[in-house]
Amino acid sequence: MKHSLFIAFTLLAFISSFGQSYKKPPKINSRTKEQDKFLEKQWWLGFKGGLNLTQATPEKRYAVFSPTNYDPGLNDKVYQNFDKTGSQATIEATFYYKGFSFSFQPTYRHVRFAYANSFEWHNPENANENLTLDYQQEQKIDYADLPILVKYEVTKTRLRPYVQLGAFYSLLINATKSVKITGTDHASGGTNPITNDPVIIGARDLFHNNYWGLVGGIGVNYNLGNIRLVLDASYRMGMSNITNTKNRFGNDRLSGIGDAQDDMKLNNIVVSAGALFPMRFLSNSFKTLDR
Amino acid sequence: MTMKKYGSHFFLAFLLLACANESDPVADKSNFTRIYDNNKFNASYFPIDLHQTPDGGYLILAARRLENSNFSGIYVMKVDELGGFVKDKEVDETYINPVGQLLEVNGKYYFFCMTVVSFETQLVEMDATGEISQVLNVGGSYPTAATADNSNFILLSYDNLNKQSVVSVVSPAGSISKSKGFSIGAGQAVEEPIISHFIRTGRQFPFQVGKTAAGLYYFNGFYNYTFSLVFTDLTQDDPQGVVQGQQDDGGLSQVVELSGGKFAGSRFNFGDNYFLPNVPISASGVSSSTDLGGNPFPELVPNAPVHILKANIHNKNILIYASNTLGRQIALFNFDQASAAFLGSRYLGFSNPFEVANLISTADGGVAICGTTYAAGRFPRICLFKISGDEFSRSLKF
Repeated sequence: MKHSLFIAFTLLAFISSFGQSYKKPPKINSRTKEQDKFLEKQWWLGFKGGLNLTQATPEKRYAVFSPTNYDPGLNDKVYQNFDKTGSQATIEATFYYKGFSFSFQPTYRHVRFAYANSFEWHNPENANENLTLDYQQEQKIDYADLPILVKYEVTKTRLRPYVQLGAFYSLLINATKSVKITGTDHASGGTNPITNDPVIIGARDLFHNNYWGLVGGIGVNYNLGNIRLVLDASYRMGMSNITNTKNRFGNDRLSGIGDAQDDMKLNNIVVSAGALFPMRFLSNSFKTLDR
Repeated sequence: MTMKKYGSHFFLAFLLLACANESDPVADKSNFTRIYDNNKFNASYFPIDLHQTPDGGYLILAARRLENSNFSGIYVMKVDELGGFVKDKEVDETYINPVGQLLEVNGKYYFFCMTVVSFETQLVEMDATGEISQVLNVGGSYPTAATADNSNFILLSYDNLNKQSVVSVVSPAGSISKSKGFSIGAGQAVEEPIISHFIRTGRQFPFQVGKTAAGLYYFNGFYNYTFSLVFTDLTQDDPQGVVQGQQDDGGLSQVVELSGGKFAGSRFNFGDNYFLPNVPISASGVSSSTDLGGNPFPELVPNAPVHILKANIHNKNILIYASNTLGRQIALFNFDQASAAFLGSRYLGFSNPFEVANLISTADGGVAICGTTYAAGRFPRICLFKISGDEFSRSLKF
């Protein structure tokens, strides 16, 4: 359902952007034909950076704890969506041609997401005696993204909104997991809060070396002299499983704690800002873009 | 044209790589870790042995704590090939003290236990789902260890009236065809550690029984005031050979016959533990376990339980020694079966204590290790580790 909505939204944005292209171009200050010709294509190179939020969607759930006398669903992980802020840095290389841009944007992306589950034991002969343990697991994963995007600039003014669509391929660089166990012990003659320092464990082997997904988003370019300032927001929908299915239980420490990673896909909201520089030589008769 | 060709290749490679990590049922069966949790405070389970069933799942035999008895009750659990819990059974409290191994003969599964009042040995028959089909009275008392011998069973038990360690050959119908008793020695002091073993108030002794390729029976148990490895043909009153321990402070903790009179073994001596991956043991005469030497393993708990598995991993015959470390993990030490060379180790468990119960080779060429973990640091629960041959070979240095 979510995927259908995403595809419908991006198609709508794409179609409406085509609709915009049939509008009469706005007047640009005293441009000559040669200048217009020159502006029909351009190479841009620049960088941008920003923040991202992550949603992990479990496709198939796995657990180390297998209950023998209670509902396994009580131990299910609860994912905290778009809760932890990550960051990214991007180099953008874009070729512009008559309103359309074809962009390659290699990105170093650091994502964070968390999930929690809890376990409870009780004494059936004394309701006051129980023990609750809460497990909070945070994943920090670094990816090298290789996105290819098509952008369409809706207007040809100094401030140029655009829509973008594309796909990305992400390579795993590193991953860590931290597990924090807290709880309350009502079985030792009183209320005894349990708090432990988080255990941080290298978890690169638990994640697949790559995954891919689709990107859709909007943004705006602002021409400032010969620099183009960029602000964009995109939604990255993961299309393949990020978990290494062969290594799910491969980390003895995490398995020992009771953690097994679900099959899951990652979705991100990515917001970036940056600056692009034109690569085509500017002639004496055309020194600035911001007309 | 060339660019177009490379482009299409790149696109295909992209798709293949991207689709290469979908759910993998084979991997799910090959490697897993499970902790079988019961959310009741007073539930305590101590696995004894496991057996893989024809459906790929596992049958686990365990002891359970009883509220009204010093002896252990019986618990049987069936899990599927993914390690998922299927069903369990807390056997009626009239039957206590289950002992390993969990035995298979003609598609039926068996284990020995005893009755709570008379302590008479019983043979329990189950199907592959863990459903008990019958309980047969064997006679004798205090079973301590058992193994399969073709279509029969060899049983080691303790006769508390005659103060003897008794080796018997038992049929699946529960009848004894051969039996011989060996005195543990006179006096209450000799019996005390045995009874403490049964009611779990003292050291758990590594009782074992088996038969060599040459047809001699052997047992690892009490004989003549000492925990000893005793060889017998079950006809002569005196043993053929004895490897003596140090009363109840030393002896062999496990032996597995290799070939040519050689064994893979381990021994304990006043708390220390030694591994003997390839040692000649004389089945005649009297010798001492301390003379066998061996490699010391100070990281193990004092007088550690040791389980040895002859396994074939990636066409390499190895010995896997499983034991408990002072760090409360299950340690797997691997040796080459032919040369006894150390091949590497692996440790299972973290955070909560883990203790090994037994390990087996699985039909897919992997290894399954069953043990006890203490959930939340306090509740004894059954755990099961399944490691594929590929994964296991990563800890081996060939």
